[in-house]
Amino acid sequence: MNFTRVYAIVLRHIFLTMHQLERFADMFLFPIFGLLLWGFVSVYIGLNSAGLAAFLMGGMILWVVFERVSTAVGVDFMFDIWEQNLMNVLASPITILEYIGGLVVVAIVKVVVSFLVMLAIAGIFYNFHITTLGVSLVLLWFNLVLFATVLGIFNIAIILRWGHTVGPLTWILPFFLQPFTAVFYPVDILPNVLQKIAWFLPITHVFEGMRFAMTSGKFDSEEFFTGLFFNLVYFVFTVLFFAYMFNLVKRKGTLVKL
Amino acid sequence: MSKNNVPVLEVKNLVKKFKNFVAVDNISFSIEEGEILGFLGPNGAGKSTTINCFLGVIKPDGGEIKIFGKGLIKNRSEIMQKVNYCSAEYHMPWNLSVYESLLVYSTLYQVGSAKKRILELLELFDVSDLRNKRIRELSFGQRARVSIAKSLLNHPRLLLLDEPMASMDPDVVDRGIRLIKKIQKEEKISILYTSHNMWEIEQVADKVVFINHGKVIAQGTPLELTQQELKLEAKEPNLREVFIHLSRRSLKEGIEGKGNPSTSLRVKS
Ligand SMILES: Nc1ncnc2c1ncn2[C@@H]1O[C@H](COP(=O)(O)OP(=O)(O)OP(=O)(O)O)[C@@H](O)[C@H]1O
Ligand SMILES: [Mg+2]
Repeated sequence: MNFTRVYAIVLRHIFLTMHQLERFADMFLFPIFGLLLWGFVSVYIGLNSAGLAAFLMGGMILWVVFERVSTAVGVDFMFDIWEQNLMNVLASPITILEYIGGLVVVAIVKVVVSFLVMLAIAGIFYNFHITTLGVSLVLLWFNLVLFATVLGIFNIAIILRWGHTVGPLTWILPFFLQPFTAVFYPVDILPNVLQKIAWFLPITHVFEGMRFAMTSGKFDSEEFFTGLFFNLVYFVFTVLFFAYMFNLVKRKGTLVKL
Repeated sequence: MSKNNVPVLEVKNLVKKFKNFVAVDNISFSIEEGEILGFLGPNGAGKSTTINCFLGVIKPDGGEIKIFGKGLIKNRSEIMQKVNYCSAEYHMPWNLSVYESLLVYSTLYQVGSAKKRILELLELFDVSDLRNKRIRELSFGQRARVSIAKSLLNHPRLLLLDEPMASMDPDVVDRGIRLIKKIQKEEKISILYTSHNMWEIEQVADKVVFINHGKVIAQGTPLELTQQELKLEAKEPNLREVFIHLSRRSLKEGIEGKGNPSTSLRVKS
């Protein structure tokens, strides 16, 4: 792993973000408007149940972390295809690991900015402070970002293979998962079959863990490790899947035709 | 002088198939230190595919590629540190300015004193005044010049140029050729040069490898090839005639023999 080359990818996206207004929108507008919407829903619900209101706000904020990271990894990759620049990057000494590493770093940096904006808005307008979760929050983040990365790598793999016609999956896939991941409600609400599906998704355990921490003030290590376990399993499978696809497109000669 | 006279690039029996279609068929050649090799052939002959194998972005089905005496597969990152590539087909990042995009590539190649090197190359290719323009605002030829500047950022020892000047006007091509020759002399770069402009090749190439249907069908200096393929007493190289001669010859052989002539122009001769 050569960190200068990873930094080159970060630099490329710093410049891109400075020039592209919509890249800024990704970072600020989506989180702000999302939070405003759920903020008011929470205020309304909070009239009856302060606890439930907090669940909704917390769920919303953590969901954005997951959704933004996974989408950014795929979309930033597609920028190199759209700008017909991928071939020049691949011809350089960079390894595919460094390249994807760079994309993940960019996604995390961007989501930290979004997160801080959301913290400020939630704190100022709704008097909601997710930071009271303390260390738990860091561990919840860890599982969120890891699964988002897994999804991002999966997306890059299928784009490598089927081109950017499958690109939209990058921003659709997180929302396909959303109903099962118990972002805004406890898993118990789901029908039995769906609960089983939910259990296999690492971030379900993040949102369950968040609600537990909010009500009890304690960290649910069982939820954390269950999430982490599935994360690691998916991570290994996705990396293998990616390696297979990357090898395949080099053999088929389609990598240079993206 | 290269260490123990190891060729800068050595390829042996390279084979690449796309399903049943053989795009590169048992190609072997080498490039010595400081040599410019013209890599010629009709459309679809397999030139870009071969170059992409050298870059490690296409995986060959057979054969061996050694660059600086080292196996490409195992030492790709280390080798590419001293190799660079330019093709008119691909671009620098569209939304970045000329300077920014070159800065990104300087970082990728870990170029020391990047700023100085970038300004030097922009000056050399006469695009200094465009440094703050976005790549997408540039004309085709200007973009190509920026791409060539990029390919020299890391002081490469081996330069792979796949039709680098495809969209430049004759004046710029002329200047480009002079520059490439100058830099090549000063920095002792070895170059693999692909172009359909025979004048360009005559100007730069020490040696020519001619391929068709993925096979090497002739090689030598431009003058040798002219004498060999056209007339023995020729004093000046005439690669244009050689090109036409060789393409049509292999077309005929393709029709009569087992080759696949579909990629050559069908011309009655
Ligand atoms: N990914 C691919 N899948 C199938 N066939 C391919 C693929 N890439 C190239 N080919 C075929 O391989 C042959 C060689 O292509 P290549 O691009 O190497 O030609 P070339 O010599 O560079 O031609 P040109 O002068 O037109 O650039 C062509 O017939 C092309 O259609
Ligand atoms: Mg080509």
